[in-house]
Amino acid sequence: MIRIFDIALKDLLQLSRDFKTFMFLLIMPILFTFLFGFAFGGFGGNDDSDSRLPVGYLSQDDHWITTELHDLLAESDVIRLEENPFLTSFDLEELVANGDLAAAIIVPEGYGRAVLKNKTVRLAVIADAGTQSWTTIEAEVLTAASRIDGAARTATIMEQMELEGVPFDYAFEQTLSAWDEPPISINETSSLAIKQTSDEGNALAHTSPGMMLQFAIAGLLTAAQVIVTERTSRTLQRLLTTATRRIHVLLGHFLAIFLLIFTQFTILIIFGQYVLKVDYLRLPGATMLVAFSAALCISALGLLIGILAKTEEQAITFSLIPMFVFAGLGGAWVPLEFTGKTFQAIGHLSPVAWGMDGFENICARGLGFESVLIPSAALAGYAVFFFLLATWRLSASEEK
Amino acid sequence: MINVPAIAVLGLHKSFGGNQAVQGVNFEVKQGEIFSLLGPNGAGKTTTISMLSCLLRPDEGDAHVMGHSIRSDPTGVKSVLGVVPQDLALYEDLTARENLSFWGKMYGLRGSKLKLRVDEVLEVIGLRDRANERVNKYSGGMKRRVNIGVALLHKPKVIYMDEPTVGIDPQSRRNILDSVVALKNEGMTVLYTTHYMEEAQELSDHVAIMDHGKLIACGTHEELVKLVGQQTRIDLTLNGDSENVMGAWKNIDGVSRVSSEDGLVSVLVKDSNQILPHLFEAAAQLSIRITSVDIREPNLEALFLHLTGRALRD
Repeated sequence: MIRIFDIALKDLLQLSRDFKTFMFLLIMPILFTFLFGFAFGGFGGNDDSDSRLPVGYLSQDDHWITTELHDLLAESDVIRLEENPFLTSFDLEELVANGDLAAAIIVPEGYGRAVLKNKTVRLAVIADAGTQSWTTIEAEVLTAASRIDGAARTATIMEQMELEGVPFDYAFEQTLSAWDEPPISINETSSLAIKQTSDEGNALAHTSPGMMLQFAIAGLLTAAQVIVTERTSRTLQRLLTTATRRIHVLLGHFLAIFLLIFTQFTILIIFGQYVLKVDYLRLPGATMLVAFSAALCISALGLLIGILAKTEEQAITFSLIPMFVFAGLGGAWVPLEFTGKTFQAIGHLSPVAWGMDGFENICARGLGFESVLIPSAALAGYAVFFFLLATWRLSASEEK
Repeated sequence: MINVPAIAVLGLHKSFGGNQAVQGVNFEVKQGEIFSLLGPNGAGKTTTISMLSCLLRPDEGDAHVMGHSIRSDPTGVKSVLGVVPQDLALYEDLTARENLSFWGKMYGLRGSKLKLRVDEVLEVIGLRDRANERVNKYSGGMKRRVNIGVALLHKPKVIYMDEPTVGIDPQSRRNILDSVVALKNEGMTVLYTTHYMEEAQELSDHVAIMDHGKLIACGTHEELVKLVGQQTRIDLTLNGDSENVMGAWKNIDGVSRVSSEDGLVSVLVKDSNQILPHLFEAAAQLSIRITSVDIREPNLEALFLHLTGRALRD
């Protein structure tokens, strides 16, 4: 088992002596992040680093219950209330349709009193129900409205019970009925706001993870060369004449590449957070989970490239081809949101697309921890697939 | 353990697709001797070594290294074995010391024991002063010495050396041959493969000759030379068509075999002094000039020619 670490340390020593490692893993992604960020308008003067989704808010009710609802929404980590007392509901609808707002919430007159009287007066939300941002906004508004509604109804019922000695069954039925209908309604429209937040508000939140993932794959060429040289010089065969097993060798190389890529991600995430002002560390656990699973996936890909390539030249080619294909297809250059649904579906055949989803859900879309679970699982799945393929391929080639 | 043969090979077979690389090879190597496997490229030597190193699983047969079966106890085999491969199986971007330390760990050495052995081996291979230079800065001969040094780290009982002198200068070759003898003197058993007849002749206690995956002869140098009889080989270069003159030479009394390969005609004779004038005379009658003559006393190469009809060349 300790041989795995010995092999990994040896690989890292070799890689540290190759300037190409640093060039591809650190220098190139930083340069290209600036280049692509500039191209997408990331330095265009929008200093607003608030990555929350912009949601218009119009209250036609001045009840204290409505104020409570407003305060709850204003404290949200996910949505940012955009308030302008001069705008009408029609104006808000137009702003959502134009993509200037991700959604708009309209609190109708009498909402507060209706809530206290257990009547159903629902909030109106203008949004495009087909977008990814809608799911987030809906959950956030629903949670806030339900909290207000539930609290008011429970308080009323408890007050009645205390005054009139109402039976528990009746009180329970009354409380339960509060949840029969969701306290919001949707007025669907077309929204471009999520795209707007990507390409104008925070272009670097797209290019930074994109270039990080792309050049992590490009950096595999040096790691793959170490494996290829080991095979072509028959050093691998010599290793196998010691007590070292084939799986030790594979895991040792895998561990070295993983540590290298994960370190690269960590450095670039810190750089992105503090220099580029990309909000990676809004949810550090989620960001590091995506980084971890992406590093697993890319390391397994590197292992596979090292085993498939017969020469060092092939190792370079085999690293650059997936870099271009996976990065281009996976939205590292141009956000997949800018493409059609078919291309988005095809794009998700690339592990880069899942990595982009994971990082962007945190630093561009302002989503929660749960939003990185599926992308991370997909990346881990790719890692297992690539690793098994590498193991099978090595066994097959050694038998020849 | 002292009476156990260092290596006992029992009917090894190995095929790759339709190519039978090794066909029923049997031999035995005594502890503390140098045993050479001699044969041309493609004879099956490296495949045999690979099976004995547990890198390839034999299709049939078995072998025991210091009593450990390559089939049922590969870990035991590897624990007593050091392998010097034909290629420079080193990490050239690491220093000699880093290489030896890494390989020592792979052989299970750790801590102060590892450090001590690395220093000892650097001393043995004469690279202590340049131990901290990267291997890719070394000459070919120095690299070969590191390549051998790696196999000595864990003090193995048996060492396989697979054509360790291929492609190096005469001085480095001499150093390597001397180091092989030194290993024997330290009590190690050496299985040495080569296609250089002189190396096998100089180093070996026993020689096995392989061709086309089969062992065609095995014994001491003297025993093997006896097989060919006390015949001398005369190699001749001609400036004309050799076919006619070869036919004429075959009919001369005292000529036992005439063969041709790559423009060189080889003639096996009992007495070169007596036969040589007849060879010139027959060639002159056919208007063929003999441009060079090389007379070789009975040796392993002559034996190979005798057994296979072909010369043992690169």
